[in-house]
Order: sequence, then C-alpha cells, then structure tokens
Amino acid sequence: MSVTEPTVQIVDDDPSFLAAASRLLRASGFAVKTFSSASDFLAQHDTDAPGCVLADLQMPGMNGLDLQSALARSHNPLPILFLTGHGDIPSSVRAMRGGAVDFLEKRAPKEKLLDAVRRALVRDTREREERARQRELRARFDALSERELEVLSHVVQGRLNKQIASDLGIHERTVKLHRTAITTKLGVQSVAELTRLTLEAGIFEASTPTFPKGQ
Amino acid sequence: MSWVTIIWSTIASACITLAGIYLLVWCRNRTAWVNLLFSLTAVAAAGFAFSELSMMLAETPGQFGTALRWGQVSIWLWTVSLVGFVWLYLKAGRPWLAWATCGLRTFALLPNFLVGQNLNYREITALRHIPLLGESVAVAEGVPNPWMVLGQLSLVLLVIFVGDASVTAWRRGDRRKALMVGGSVVLLVLVGLVESMLIFWGKVQAPLTVSPFYLCLVLVMAYELGRDVLLASQLVGELQASEAGLRENEERMSLAVDAANFGIWIRDLARNEIWASDKWRKLFGFAPSERLDLGAILQRLHPDDREGFRQTVGAAVAGEGRYEAEFRVMLPNGGIRWITSHGRVEFDATGQPVRIRGASRDVTADKQAELETQLLRQQVAHVGRVTMMGQLATALAHEINQPLGAILRNAEAAELFMQEASPDLDEIRAIIADIREDDQRAGSVIDRMRGLLKRQNLSTRPIHVGELVGDVRALVRVDAAARHVKLDVGVPGDLPPVRGDRVHLQQVLLNLILNGMDALSGASLEDRRISVTALLDGAQTVEIAVSDTGTGIPDDKLAHVFDPFFTTKPDGMGMGLPISRTIIEAHGGRFWAENNKSGGATFRFTLPIAEEAAAK
Repeated sequence: MSVTEPTVQIVDDDPSFLAAASRLLRASGFAVKTFSSASDFLAQHDTDAPGCVLADLQMPGMNGLDLQSALARSHNPLPILFLTGHGDIPSSVRAMRGGAVDFLEKRAPKEKLLDAVRRALVRDTREREERARQRELRARFDALSERELEVLSHVVQGRLNKQIASDLGIHERTVKLHRTAITTKLGVQSVAELTRLTLEAGIFEASTPTFPKGQ
Repeated sequence: MSWVTIIWSTIASACITLAGIYLLVWCRNRTAWVNLLFSLTAVAAAGFAFSELSMMLAETPGQFGTALRWGQVSIWLWTVSLVGFVWLYLKAGRPWLAWATCGLRTFALLPNFLVGQNLNYREITALRHIPLLGESVAVAEGVPNPWMVLGQLSLVLLVIFVGDASVTAWRRGDRRKALMVGGSVVLLVLVGLVESMLIFWGKVQAPLTVSPFYLCLVLVMAYELGRDVLLASQLVGELQASEAGLRENEERMSLAVDAANFGIWIRDLARNEIWASDKWRKLFGFAPSERLDLGAILQRLHPDDREGFRQTVGAAVAGEGRYEAEFRVMLPNGGIRWITSHGRVEFDATGQPVRIRGASRDVTADKQAELETQLLRQQVAHVGRVTMMGQLATALAHEINQPLGAILRNAEAAELFMQEASPDLDEIRAIIADIREDDQRAGSVIDRMRGLLKRQNLSTRPIHVGELVGDVRALVRVDAAARHVKLDVGVPGDLPPVRGDRVHLQQVLLNLILNGMDALSGASLEDRRISVTALLDGAQTVEIAVSDTGTGIPDDKLAHVFDPFFTTKPDGMGMGLPISRTIIEAHGGRFWAENNKSGGATFRFTLPIAEEAAAK
C-alpha cells in the first residue's frame, strides 16, 4: 500500500451534520472521508490508511462504542474521537476508558474540535511508528531458534550460565554458544540491552513478572 | 525352728510374693515386660535364698555341692532378668555389655555342671561348722574351681552395664530412677560379689549370705515399679477430670461464640504466629490448615483499609491495650465482607506486649442494610429528576443539538471558505441552504414538543392544591433536609380545587422547588428557605408561588429564563422552565418570574378553578 495522506474519517447517521462537519474540516485543510453508518465505515475501511475517526456516539444499529471496540480489534486501530448531541457521563467514561482521544458535544467550539482532530492525527503517527518498531523487533526475535528462545527466557530472568545449563540439562559451553548466537542475531551488546529489547518486544509476556495495573 | 531357717525362708517367701504380684500385673498388661522381668528377678532371688539355706543346713559335702550347683542356676536367671529389667526400665545401656553379661553367665553354667562339683568348687573336701545367730551352720572346705572367674567376671560386667545405663538415664534427666535402681543394683551386687569372692577363694571362713542383699534389691525395684503404677493411675484420673472440665468450658465457649457469629483468634507477637478458630478462617477466607501470619491477613484487607488497621493495632500494642476496628475483607472468590474486630493486648511484667487475643464478626448484612437505606433515600430524593420531564428534556436536547450543531459547523465552514481568495460560491450557497433547512428542523422539534403536550389531552380533573403541594413536599423532604433547606408551605384550607393533570403539575412544582434549592446552595445554612404559597386570584383562578431566599435572577436575564437552553447552572440543560411554561399554558394558565424585594426569586403560575367549584 502506497503512502497516503492522513484522512479524517467521519461517521454519523445525520447527513446534515456529516456534510457540515466534512465542510469545516476540509476548509481547515484536512483530507476527509464520510460514512453514514459504522458498518459502512468498517466495510470500506482501508486497513492500512493513516488518519483518525470522528464518530457520532448515538447511531442506530452499531453505535459509537461498538465501532470503537471493533476498530480496536482491527489491524489498523485508528484513534477515535466521539461527538454527541448531548453528553451523558456513563458513555463518555466508557469511551475514554476504551482509549478515545476525546469526547465532544456537537456544538463544541470549533477550536476545541480542530485541536482534538490534530491530537488524534499526531497520536496515529506515533502509534504507527511504535507498531512498525514492534514488528521490526518481533522479526528479529523470529530469527531465534526454539532452543535459543528457551535460553533467552532464562537469561532475562537473571540466571547464570551454570544454572541454565543444569535447568535445561545441557552443557555450560552449549549455553555460552547459544548466548553468543542470540546476541549476534539481535545485535545487542549487553545483557541489560537484551532484557530491555525482550521486554519491549513483549515475548515471554506470561512468564515475566508484571506490575498490577492501577487500583 | 532355727533363726537361720526363719530368716532365709522369710526372704524367699517375700521374694515369691512380690514376684506373684507383679506377674499378675504383667498378665493384665502384657506389653509391660518390665513387670515380668521383675517377677523373674524376684523368683531367682527366692531360689538363691533356698540354695543358701540348703548349704548352711547341709550335712555332707555332697549336699552342699548340689545346693551350690543349683544356686548357680538361680544366679543365671537372676542376672539375665536383671539385665533385661534395667534395660527396659531405664531405657538405657549398651547392648554389647548386656549381651556380654548374659552370655558369660550362660557360658558359666557349662563348668558348673561339667567341671568339678560346681562352678565354685572343684572338690569339697569337708564341712566345717561355725556359729551363726546362736546355732552352727555348715561352711565348705575344698579346692576352688578356677572356672568361677567366668561367673565373677559376668557380675563385674553386670555392674558396669548397670552403672553405664544409670549414667545415661541420669544425664537424660531421669535422676530418680537412675539413682534408685542403678545405684542400688551397683552397690548391692558389688557387696555380694566381694563377699562371695572372699568366701569361695578361701580367704574367709563364713557361710554365703548374699540373699539379704538381693532381697533389698528386689524391694527397691518393687517400690520403684509400684510408684510408677500408682503415679500412672493418679495421672489418668487427673487427666480425665481436667479433660472433662476443659471440654465443658470449650463447649460453653464455642456455643457463645457461634451464637454471636464471632471468629476468635490469638496472635503471638514474639513468634509472629496466629491461631484462629475455624469460624474465623471461614470469615477471612483461609483454608483450615493454611499457615497464618500478619502479612497474609493484611493482604486480605481492602487496600483502602490496610493503613488504618495497621495504625489502630499499632496504637493498641504501643500502650492503649485494646482496639476496635472495622474493615473490608477481600475474599479469594472476589467477594467483599465487612468485619468488625475487637482485640485485647496482653503485656508481660516488663510492659512488653506478648500477645493479642481478639474476636471478629461479620457485619456485612448490617452494612448492606445501611447502604440500602442510604440508596433508597437518594432514590427518593432524585425521583423528580428522572421522571417524565427529565427524560423529555434529554431527548429534546439531543434532537435539537443535532441541527444546531450542523448549523454551527456549516457557518464556521462558510467563514473559512469566504476567507479564500476566490470563494466557491456554489459551496457557500449549498451551506446556506443547509443552514435554513436545519433551522426548520430545530423549529419543528420545538413545535412537536408543544404539540405532544397538547395532543396528549391532559387528563385533567379537580385537584386540591394542598394535596398537590403535599405530594411534592414528600418527594423532596429528604433532599431538602440533606441540603439544609427549610420548606414552608402556606396553602389555605378553604382554597377551591383547580382543574389540572396531577402528574404534570407535580412535575412543574417539583422542578421549581429543585431549582430553588439549587439557587440556595451558595447561601448560608440559616438562610436557606423555600416557601410554597397559594391564594385565590379573582373568581376563576388560583395563583401558586414558589419563592426562595437565594440571590435572585439578574435583571438582564429575567426576560430569558423561559427560553429553551437558557441556563445559569453549570450542568443545567435549560429545558425545565420552558417545558413547565408549556405545561401551564396547556392548562390555560400563565407563568412568570420576578425578583423579591427582600432578595431571592419567585416563580408564579395560575391555574383555573375546577368548573364545578366555580359554578357554586
């Protein structure tokens, strides 16, 4: 897929508001695409295009929150921004918890709306870079053999060569050879760097200790 | 009869009697082998006493030799059973010494029967008579049998074995047993050994009189054994009594504890050990065998309650001596339980806290009831906000916001298009057309609302204003109390009934009172007052007024309070008053607002008197 301009995808069942919002954003210099329902959007959603989504919260059929969760599961989880005729607290809380960039009333001041769209686009760029980096990291780890991954899982837990050898029932010299292979394939210099990369790549997620999330 | 016969017969019969008694004890309790071994020792001592008596009364060297020969058999039995007795009774001793002693003694039986006349004499050549206790007794003269060394060596080994076993028992702490049994065996066996050696090696001319020593030994052993038996039975009795008492106490305690739903626990501060009853473990969600410590228990507490609990207990341990705490416990299954816990700290003589005893109780049900009451109160207070008017207002706000939002965005877009060097006029025309359309849409929403209320054909009937105000007052009473607002009602009892829709009119009144309370939220607590009054206005209408003592409405805003979306409240929608006015106008009344001279605002509306009443 070629590099395309970031696009603001507007989803609203009200054609009048859809046209008005599209005009305002185009006049403000954004590339815009409009959809009259969430399912339309998901059907035509380009799975690689950069941008963000501006969606009405209350829509017949699939509503804004449903769209949010469907989008989050897709290969291109664009940042989402909600608009509502009249905000109610429970759905705004759910929307923000689900990772929404913002939650605005339809009559919100223009600057507030445009700022939120800009923030969403910046976030998309950042997340895109982060995902690319993750993919690149994963690719590097994919080069490791099963045995090397096994040895790596012990190394990042701070175990010594001798202990690893006895755990896996292999010779200490073999462990050293595996370690050399790992560091060469991943292109790292130290155990510290190795541990950092492993954590970033998110492999062994189940076995490495994690901190409890929030309260 | 001679004294010698009497004494030696008495010794033998005493031994036999004791042997019989302990044989009986053994029969009753077959695992108490020590009793059997004692019996055998005593029987052997009796046997040897007979041999000694026979020797003293012997008339020929042959008789003497035979008596001594069979005496050796008694000595064999005596040695072996004594070794066994000491071994079992003191629960000590070296096995090889025991085996050597018994082996040597058994081996000595061979020369006793095979070499010479017996173990002690190769040949008894003559008997001499010497005086003892006023009569003459026989003493042998002859060649000593060198094999007798075997027997004497065996006795030496016996002394060493018993001495060694006694030392072990003494070190272990069984000092009494070691001293009594071990000491007397060593002493008396040594005395007997020395005497017999002197006699048999021909150093002293005297009859053999070892039996009295052996009797002494048997008496000591019997005394010790008897003491044990006595002690045991005494202990059993005491144990039974104390157990019964304990069980009774425990029963009473657990009955009380169960009845009160208490879980009890004891925490040993020095060892950081905690004992807790099964009930307590159930309350906190611990398995019956799970090890308890403070860390594990704190982990069970709700994170928000942990610090408070720690401080409360800390203060009690630091000197207050007792505490009472209420906290939430998070059960492994995810449930939450409210617990109150009472604890009492015990201090030692130096004032150091030693342990804490306490009782915990499940108060979840009480808490739940309390919460439910609170919730119910809140629901009652807010009932007005979620009724028809509230729902209507939300729906309206959403429907009107939609076209208004589109108008706003279109206008903003048009402004931006106009700033371009050559504006796209077609686009701007389209925008203007859309704006006009959306404006009509918004207008039609308002018309629809009015139509809705009219078309609904308000179900009007005669209503007493006093009852109407009373209904609403009941709805807001709790809310008013919570916000420290005093609600005065002044409705004359002779006021004629009005014609209206009871539910709709309640909504209007409720809305006015809630607005009034909002307006009072900044006032000082003493000045929060709302009064609802009603009076007859001419012959056809009743005027109802709701006034508050707040800050009033700024004069420039007074004209706009009935405009849709006009609001002075941060979270207000600005729909309450427009809808209220629509309702009153649908009833054929008027609705207006004014500021009071003394401060605050008054909202007034009129309602027509019911025809039946007006006709009178």
